[in-house]
Amino acid sequence: MNVPNRELREIIREEPVMRGQILAILGDGPQTVPEIAAAMGCPTHEVVYWVMDMRRYGYVAEIKGATDDGYFRYESTGKVSA
Amino acid sequence: MNDYDVLVVGAGIGGMESALKLGDMGYRVLLVEKEASVGGKMILLSKVFPTLDCASCISTPKMAASIHHPNVTTLTYSEVDGIDPLAGGRFHATVKRKARFVNETTCTGCQLCETACTVAVPDQFNADMVARRAAYIAFPQAVPKKAVIERAGSSPCSYTCPAGIQAHGYVSLIRSGEYEKAFQLVLDATPLVGTLGRACYAPCEVECTRGSLDGPLPIRRLKRFVADIHYEKFDGPGVEVPAPNGHRVAIVGSGPAGLTAAWQLARKGYAVKIFESAPKAGGFLRLAIPAYRLPSEVVEQDIANVTALGVEIATSTPVTDLEALHADAYEAVLLATGTPRSTTLGVPGDQLDGVMSGVSFLRAVKLGEGVDLSDKRVVVIGGGNVAMDTARTARRLGARDVTVVYRRSRAEMPAHHVEADDTEQEGVHFVFEAAPVEVLHSGHGATRGLRCDRMEPARPGATGRRHPEPIPGSTFEIACDMVIAAIGMAPDTDGFSAHVAADPSGRLTVDPTTLQSATPWLFAAGDVVSGASDITRATGQGQRAAFMIDHWIQDRNLDGIDGFDLRLSVVDKAQVLARQKAYRLAVPADPSQVLSPAPTDFREVELPMTEAEARRGAGLCLDCGVCSECGECVDACPVDDCIDLRARDETFKVEVGAVVVATGFKLFAADLKPEYGFGTFKNVITGMQMDRLLAPTRPFNTILRPGDGKVPERIAYVLCTGSRDETVGNPLCSRFCCMYSIKQNQLIMGALPVADVTVHYMDIRAPGKRYDEFYEQAKAMGANYVKGRVARITEKENGDLVLRYEDIEHGGGLVEAEYDLVVLAVGVQPNSDAQALFPMGALSTDEFHYVAETNEDTDPGRTSIPGVYVAGAASGAKDIADSILHAGSTVAQVAAYLERTKVPA
Repeated sequence: MNVPNRELREIIREEPVMRGQILAILGDGPQTVPEIAAAMGCPTHEVVYWVMDMRRYGYVAEIKGATDDGYFRYESTGKVSA
Repeated sequence: MNDYDVLVVGAGIGGMESALKLGDMGYRVLLVEKEASVGGKMILLSKVFPTLDCASCISTPKMAASIHHPNVTTLTYSEVDGIDPLAGGRFHATVKRKARFVNETTCTGCQLCETACTVAVPDQFNADMVARRAAYIAFPQAVPKKAVIERAGSSPCSYTCPAGIQAHGYVSLIRSGEYEKAFQLVLDATPLVGTLGRACYAPCEVECTRGSLDGPLPIRRLKRFVADIHYEKFDGPGVEVPAPNGHRVAIVGSGPAGLTAAWQLARKGYAVKIFESAPKAGGFLRLAIPAYRLPSEVVEQDIANVTALGVEIATSTPVTDLEALHADAYEAVLLATGTPRSTTLGVPGDQLDGVMSGVSFLRAVKLGEGVDLSDKRVVVIGGGNVAMDTARTARRLGARDVTVVYRRSRAEMPAHHVEADDTEQEGVHFVFEAAPVEVLHSGHGATRGLRCDRMEPARPGATGRRHPEPIPGSTFEIACDMVIAAIGMAPDTDGFSAHVAADPSGRLTVDPTTLQSATPWLFAAGDVVSGASDITRATGQGQRAAFMIDHWIQDRNLDGIDGFDLRLSVVDKAQVLARQKAYRLAVPADPSQVLSPAPTDFREVELPMTEAEARRGAGLCLDCGVCSECGECVDACPVDDCIDLRARDETFKVEVGAVVVATGFKLFAADLKPEYGFGTFKNVITGMQMDRLLAPTRPFNTILRPGDGKVPERIAYVLCTGSRDETVGNPLCSRFCCMYSIKQNQLIMGALPVADVTVHYMDIRAPGKRYDEFYEQAKAMGANYVKGRVARITEKENGDLVLRYEDIEHGGGLVEAEYDLVVLAVGVQPNSDAQALFPMGALSTDEFHYVAETNEDTDPGRTSIPGVYVAGAASGAKDIADSILHAGSTVAQVAAYLERTKVPA
């Protein structure tokens, strides 16, 4: 968690680049943010931005109602391109 | 100029209330809001206190009314640039309507443009907790619900491209993995995607803002990347052949200008025929640029784009009779014949065997005419790119020794520095500041050497460039078997002189804007007009020529024509860089080419990018202009011509009888309290961010920690962050932080029933009607209120937060408590936008920098300027109810003023 913060704008700009990686990871099944972050080797707070951006624009969705130790699992919606 | 009774600046709750009440009274009101929607901060809230009514449910009727009221004209995404007093107590206001680049009338609010947009930026309407797109609708309840495309200007890469290629656009598409769309975007400008992906000198990269950080993006190689991918899959351009439009155009010359013009015209349905004097099409692309830089098959693939649209190319067909061509039903003729003539050395011996021009040499090699330089010593004269190509080609043909002789210094070489560096790495020697005076022969007509003078810079010439002059007595010889002169090229336009004028160097004289000659049906473009330049400039000229020819054929008139150059002004790089305080610098990329000190073949020296390299490279883009002009929104929009990237800001003046300043407040910047860690600790957020997490239109699926997406179970509030705090220069109470925190406490306990909520406070201020009951209700629900100011917050490895505070009610000891999430209940600050409205500086502020009222108690709303009033939180912190009340009193003041000024003095 104690990873030096990058500028928000810089993290957000990278979402289109990270989108493919995250969708590939979710291809193995629903994952939590820490699980996605571990698979990518990226800080969890940056993955939160990317996953929430992808959720907003319909690439991923949370599995409703169930959490894994307080973490939702996110799954691909099947959308891969704008 | 339009007249209004009242100008209201700002369409938050105070501004909307003022406008609507004045409109109800029959006054004509102009309401100006800088954001893309009315509603201010209130519409972004979850619920309001103490009723817990939905903020949207209360706001949206007023928002809709402010748009539809018959007496209220509302301009969103607009700014008041200045207000000046007039005689009679009236005012002139300058209003700027910022270009939305979307037709407000026809936009349906479908949001397809936003979904398609390739540029992600922080969403200010979600307190930066998630991204929005450069094309966006402010928020789901926006009024008007119309899209906006955020454009800060042209990105430097796109702006500077002489070929008019949307460099930022294709980089942005590659970043999103849309490689074919990126290819098609380049194709919109030119068919030469593969060629420019290799042989362009990339002025875009010179201008790339990232260049001042860790080096420019590999913009040119990214273009090559998408070209390579496209050509692996397709033989042609992958576009539909347009229906014929019944018009015919002839183009003389098949270089970059001619091919690009043909492509552009063919896409409009023109029947185009290119006449090429050489046996192969492509001009210098095919007959000069060596294959190690630009493989012939790439040029052929690019040319196939053009012929796929039905363009005919007649090779070995020189044109000398333009009139006959025109008479053959070609309505317009474009001359794009380039600069095929070479400048001769002009020294004794320059006609010997073994002396030739660089262009002739390269052409012979490209045509496979059996040029063999095995074991020969070659001298290349000149310092331009053709000289570099010649020298490197000579190395590949087996020359034992290749020497470039240039009359100026290395720094003054016109060759691109990369070309010069590569040439040197391939074993070519350079002799600088030397000029030939005689080619020496062996007595049998064969070249045996070159006699040169040493040169030194002397007086500056007309251009300011110092002209080299020989140093007396400095003559020396270079032994060689061949001399290749690459010292200049010129057009060959003698055959066109009956129809178009030329300057002494042979360059055709045409209108620089329309490229039309004195013979109306005859146009000229590229190097034949400009003299030797480069592929990209010639490409841009071809594009311009096609645009002008199309207009001329359709309208027969080019007087005053514009619309070719649709660029916005270029963004200020310093402003782009200032968007971030810090940058993570990129890891240097691997070398992009393989050079040998003794090259033996013409294999391409530059390596292709891998997909990972391309995505990583494109991902470094700073989105200088914000919108990348990738065109995805235009393609996605279901309404024809709704998105209009040609739109521009409009500024106009209005005369008004009175002004209401309703510019609201700003929230305290929480990072100014570094001891609380906002901006450093990921799980420290502000009250506004929590309100967004609680709102129905929230950025996350529920309340989550931004640090790792966990549902928090222990949540702390730190009240009075940035208010009642002399250390940050704000001694005032912000009046509603306690109440919004109590509201959020209740909402959190409803949303997360197992969560513990603890509020660290100095004292709770709940003086309004039912406010204290609201506070008691929160306590009854289980919220824990701890008296004592928080001194410091620290972060644990797992992102949890430790608050250190003095526990006043339990002995005053220092206590540490651990939480999952901390909410800083930030206070408010004055909005200095209000003062900027009045250039004459007459709007007084109080000691806290809010707009001053002449007497808050007895004369609320009146400012230091007669006829100018203030409504809502622009005059000091107010909650929603008080803002509405204050706006009401201001409205009464304004009405009285307007009626009073109607009475003759």
